Amino acid sequence: MPAGRETLLRWRPRAYLLLGAAALLLVVAVAERNPVPLFLALPFLLAGPAAALAGPRSTPHLTASRNQAGSAMDVRIGGAIRSAERVDPRDLFVELPRPAGLTETARPLFERTRDEVRFRLSWRAAEPAMVTVPAPRVVWRDATGLVERSTTLDAPGLVVERYPPELLRIGAIKLRRTMVLPGETLSRQIGPSGMFYGIRDAAPNDPPRRINWPASARTGRLLANEFQVDRTGDVLLVLDARGTELGPVVDDRLLSVSRAAAAGIADSFLREKARVGVGVFGEFLDAVPLGTGRAQRDRVRTALLNARLTPPGAPSERCAISLSRYFPPGVTTILFSTLVDDTISDLLPYLRRRGFPVVVLSPSPLPVLSESTILSAQDEAVAARLSRLLRRDRIASAWREAPTIDWEEYWSLGRFVEFLRRPGTRRLG
Amino acid sequence: MSPTPASPRRLPRGVGSLALLAVLGGLFGFLANWPHYEGLILMLAGVGAGGALQRLGPSWVRAFAPVAVVVVFTAVALESPLGLLPELVAGGGGVAVLLWLADDPGRPAGGVARAQNTLGIPALALGIAWASALLLPSSSASLGVAVGLLVFVIVAVAYLFGRPTLFDHEEPSPS
Repeated sequence: MPAGRETLLRWRPRAYLLLGAAALLLVVAVAERNPVPLFLALPFLLAGPAAALAGPRSTPHLTASRNQAGSAMDVRIGGAIRSAERVDPRDLFVELPRPAGLTETARPLFERTRDEVRFRLSWRAAEPAMVTVPAPRVVWRDATGLVERSTTLDAPGLVVERYPPELLRIGAIKLRRTMVLPGETLSRQIGPSGMFYGIRDAAPNDPPRRINWPASARTGRLLANEFQVDRTGDVLLVLDARGTELGPVVDDRLLSVSRAAAAGIADSFLREKARVGVGVFGEFLDAVPLGTGRAQRDRVRTALLNARLTPPGAPSERCAISLSRYFPPGVTTILFSTLVDDTISDLLPYLRRRGFPVVVLSPSPLPVLSESTILSAQDEAVAARLSRLLRRDRIASAWREAPTIDWEEYWSLGRFVEFLRRPGTRRLG
Repeated sequence: MSPTPASPRRLPRGVGSLALLAVLGGLFGFLANWPHYEGLILMLAGVGAGGALQRLGPSWVRAFAPVAVVVVFTAVALESPLGLLPELVAGGGGVAVLLWLADDPGRPAGGVARAQNTLGIPALALGIAWASALLLPSSSASLGVAVGLLVFVIVAVAYLFGRPTLFDHEEPSPS
């Protein structure tokens, strides 16, 4: 169906009910030569077209505003939908789609005034999540419920980010060069922000706010200020988005958890003016080169939101080669990988050979797998023990290539943060 | 100190329109050509079922509430006698059905006021038709003309149902 057709008027089932009843009454009236059914048929016949004519004659244009509140698992979203045209908000049917990964804790609350429809949603994030909240779907429906019309809605994007609280301060960690975690030392960068550094001759493209006007007046030529920024280091976040033998449902949940943690880490380091890059490896590598600032935050967020699971089978070497094209070797690399099978674990030696010092943050599939029970309680306990042993073996194997943190409690990343803070003294996993 | 006057108790939403529907429907059933008030009983049962479905059922059941009411009205109309009063009651019953639909307690209040145009146009047409039947000399020929006009209206309405774009003032966006 062409997209334009969806914006047109639609008859609802009760309109067809009335039309069918009217047609039947007409037949009865003619058959019995009795005008009484005609009088009953008349309102049924005219109601539909009257409702269509009385409502808006074109697609109503609406605007929505949304905001989010809450912390940790609690997600509360409020907003309002307004119409610039003469559409009564009480005739608007609002459907609020809930993104995957969030569960409803209370029924949506609606409040309709003469000007707008206000709504409040209460959701809960069972796991760390970074999801886009879809725009509300709004339909105008006449008061008798005979006809309806789609609407066009201007709604700004809304992204819910919930990650472990430890990540809020992870950016303050000074990344140091160590044996197991060779990263960036403190570096300085001369640029347009930070502490005052000095004065230089102005360039033609310097904005007026960077010109030092008193100094320029004294010397008779334009001089510009320079500033100095202390960076704690560069961080590269790599998400392994290849599918595994766990299946797409479990893989998707683990990727969602990784995405949220990556967003939290990137956000925290960017607040500290560090440079952050992102690579999402599925079949090929999607990379956001190292950068800092608000624009980089948006780029990182977009890349993470667009990260999708891909079918298994992409060679690990391809990821390492592609990363070396975008990022300099030596940059501290945090790899998000489930380490479920050998193909996934193979990535570590390739990254190490290309000069990327890797720390693996591996979301464990065990909490997700334990949610579905198909065996008896006793057998489940045995299966859980076996799974845990296998998992420990995987983590131990990965440790031979790079420090690996087994992330089983999704709402806590204290061990990971502690490891980054004291990389030489701790061995976790 | 005078006691605070008690606020007047208001009926639950939708009860007024349901009562009006029950009264007009009951009268329509009472006038039907059935010897033992079966029409009255059938009509009250149908209206009661419609009201119950509208209020008590889950959302998918509520969608069937109008079916019960429309079916009993149509059934009683099959046995309706000739006469100006049955004509008026039948037409009034039809408008009452629309009024009841607009006063749905599952939707925001004020539905009847918002549906005044949707209710007003059929009510006006009904008034003209009933006044014509009352004032104009009746004959089988006039019934034939009325039927012809009604057939034309049905064809026109069916055409409108098939072409909802006719109600639009905007061009559909290209696909």
